[in-house]
Amino acid sequence: MHNAGLSTNQIMRQVIYALALGVSASYVFFGFGVIIQILLGMVSALTVEALFLALRGRPVLESISDGSAVLTAILLAISIPSIAPWWVVVTGVAFAVIFGKQLYGGLGNNPFNPAMLGYAFLLISYPLQMTTWPVDYLSFSQVVDVVFNLLHFDGISGATRLDDVKTSLSLGSDIATLQLQSISQAWINIGFLVGGVYLLARKIIFWHIPAAVLSGILAMALVISMFDSQTYLPVQNHFLLGGTMLSAFFIATDPVSASTTPKGRLIYGFLIGVLIVVIRTYGGYPDGIAFAVLLMNMAVPLIDHYTQPKVFGRS
Amino acid sequence: MSDYEFAGGVVIENPYPVDQVKIIQAPLPNHVVLPLQQRIGDEAKPCVKVGDRVLTGQVIAQTQDQFCVPIHASISGTVVDISQQIIPHKSGLKANCISIESDGKDEWIKTQGCGNDFLQCDRQTMIDYVQRSGIVGLGGAGFPSHTKLNKAVDCHTLIINGTECEPGVMCDNALMQHHPREVIRGVEILLHITGAKKAIIAIENDKQEAYQALLMFNHNDKISLAQLPAKYTSGAEKLLIKALLGIEIPSGGFAADKGVLCQNVASTKAIFDAVIEQRPLISRIVTITGDAVTPVNIELRLGTSFEQAISLTDVNAQAHDYRMGGMMMGVDIVDIKMPICKITNCIFVNNKKTQQLAKECIRCGSCNTVCPIGLLPQQIYWHAKGKNIEKCMDYNLLDCIECACCSYVCPSHIDLVNYFSFAKALHNKQTADQHKTDIARDRFEFREYRLERNKKERAQMMADKKQALKEKMAKDKVQGQAQKDKIAQAMERVKKNKEKNA
Repeated sequence: MHNAGLSTNQIMRQVIYALALGVSASYVFFGFGVIIQILLGMVSALTVEALFLALRGRPVLESISDGSAVLTAILLAISIPSIAPWWVVVTGVAFAVIFGKQLYGGLGNNPFNPAMLGYAFLLISYPLQMTTWPVDYLSFSQVVDVVFNLLHFDGISGATRLDDVKTSLSLGSDIATLQLQSISQAWINIGFLVGGVYLLARKIIFWHIPAAVLSGILAMALVISMFDSQTYLPVQNHFLLGGTMLSAFFIATDPVSASTTPKGRLIYGFLIGVLIVVIRTYGGYPDGIAFAVLLMNMAVPLIDHYTQPKVFGRS
Repeated sequence: MSDYEFAGGVVIENPYPVDQVKIIQAPLPNHVVLPLQQRIGDEAKPCVKVGDRVLTGQVIAQTQDQFCVPIHASISGTVVDISQQIIPHKSGLKANCISIESDGKDEWIKTQGCGNDFLQCDRQTMIDYVQRSGIVGLGGAGFPSHTKLNKAVDCHTLIINGTECEPGVMCDNALMQHHPREVIRGVEILLHITGAKKAIIAIENDKQEAYQALLMFNHNDKISLAQLPAKYTSGAEKLLIKALLGIEIPSGGFAADKGVLCQNVASTKAIFDAVIEQRPLISRIVTITGDAVTPVNIELRLGTSFEQAISLTDVNAQAHDYRMGGMMMGVDIVDIKMPICKITNCIFVNNKKTQQLAKECIRCGSCNTVCPIGLLPQQIYWHAKGKNIEKCMDYNLLDCIECACCSYVCPSHIDLVNYFSFAKALHNKQTADQHKTDIARDRFEFREYRLERNKKERAQMMADKKQALKEKMAKDKVQGQAQKDKIAQAMERVKKNKEKNA
């Protein structure tokens, strides 16, 4: 059969390119750590993927070239602190590729978003390393020292921005100063937003999920702010803090683990948005993206079943 | 100006465009092979034998099946063979065929139709001519036209399908450009037969020459022309009716149920020939296209081999891939010895290419955005792959029209439609098996019931007999006693008498 448009491999590659702007913003604010984490992630993802493809008796080069392992690695690597020790990203990516994808039968057969499964695994296993971000810009040698355990990271690190904001807010800090501190997060989010718009323009992702995630966040944030606008994060800050744009355009849109019907995508995305805000506000973790996505992944078969489009000639 | 909208479908540029759509008349073939099996119905029975001389247009095989049309000789000559030959089917199936060797004279059998004054003829006579001339749907489905006409009793609208939405195919386009008068007259005949109030000729808006040609010859108020967006699947009957009239034919229903009759333009022209002069359908226009040839339309006698047809083009000397029917809904073929038949609208001759290997489905959902029926191909594919036919049915597998839009856009190059026809075949087999099992079970259950019933009846019979015997014995006993009493009385009497006498 003749074919039109992009192939699966090209789609994966386009998504990777679209991440570039957000990754660059991260690099600007967090330094070389970001790049080191990505490289570590990519190498381990490819190694583990190749090993498992070989064990499963699948064509290694043919399957590895689909780019899905690299994409998983990048998504996970940019979600974890840039100064996390090297073994964090390596075990996380290995878990994502093995338990998140290969054991289910490889690309296309995984019910969960592999990167988010890896993230949840890391957050539960290494809570300290996963929530410690650098407070200042670090030089290349400093980063190498920290990531490869040559130097202890006390003194150059602080809590995750969202966590910080949450704690400060509850202590009664001024919101204006906090917003100033969050400027790096805002730029990173804008970077991913632009990348996401590129994907929409290239018709690589459909509008339904990003729009639904963002409206879910908006709706839930509004509801919460109605109760108390002082103790909780202001509505607009939900959009430019944490991994909001990354999750709306790159994570929730993973087609394999998302709902596949037009109506289902809206429900799926909206509930992810709602859950993100709920977990951010009331949960014990700094950000709620991974758990929100994984919880909704579980609901996908049900959503798909009840949101079938109308079939021609049937009422 | 196309106000008509279709859901789903794909816009595909003609991959092999031409400046001018022409029709080349093919020279008379030396040899033709005519299959006896048609699209539906029984296989026709030959009414000629090997060695017989036949004329062009002579009936050579027939059947009583009302769905079928007779088979005509497409050239004059001698019947040389009646045997199994490869027919145009995706499996490379062999079936009974009649082979005729040409005498080069092309002598026609004498026929007479209604003539130009067809309004004098009544409906049934005209339908009769259509059947006797062997007219079937020339758009690709091959459904016999007379059956459709017989069904169209309460027809209010006639739709003449000249959309020809399959990219690359241009035989209908050529026909409309070169025979506009016959097409319009054919529509008038159909209006007369069906009694419909109006007729719409549907043409895609990238076929301006055809549109203009028909517009020039159309002087009938009942006939209008509609330009549709040039988008693949616009020509699918039910979708076309929906776009033109806003009527949605229910799943499993027919256009005739809603008072609509659809006919292809080429069939309409063939109906014109059939009714006016009872000229049998013995040739058709075939598009031969692809990257190994300069695209052409050739009017070929039925039964000409693909090989012969391709040899009439400027085909290059490389290795080729062949496909019959459209780029989307056609099938790849290996053998080109098979004959051209009534539904062969197009042959693709492409230079050999390596096929792209399919990857896993990533559920991107491109397929469900192009599905004109609104199905979820990715879900059906998942279940078809697992042979879970029941689940496929939940996702309305049987509504799939196999248009292949989903396969076309799939980024993983999965031939989705192939899975769907496989799942349908599996469903049919399961249904047939289930039917057989049901019959067997019914039979078994009846046997059990029968044995039980016999047993009961016998038991009842025995009981009745016993009862009767008992009663009889009791009766006998009573009777016996009475007898004995009588005897005793008699003895008594005798004794008394003796005593008296003594």
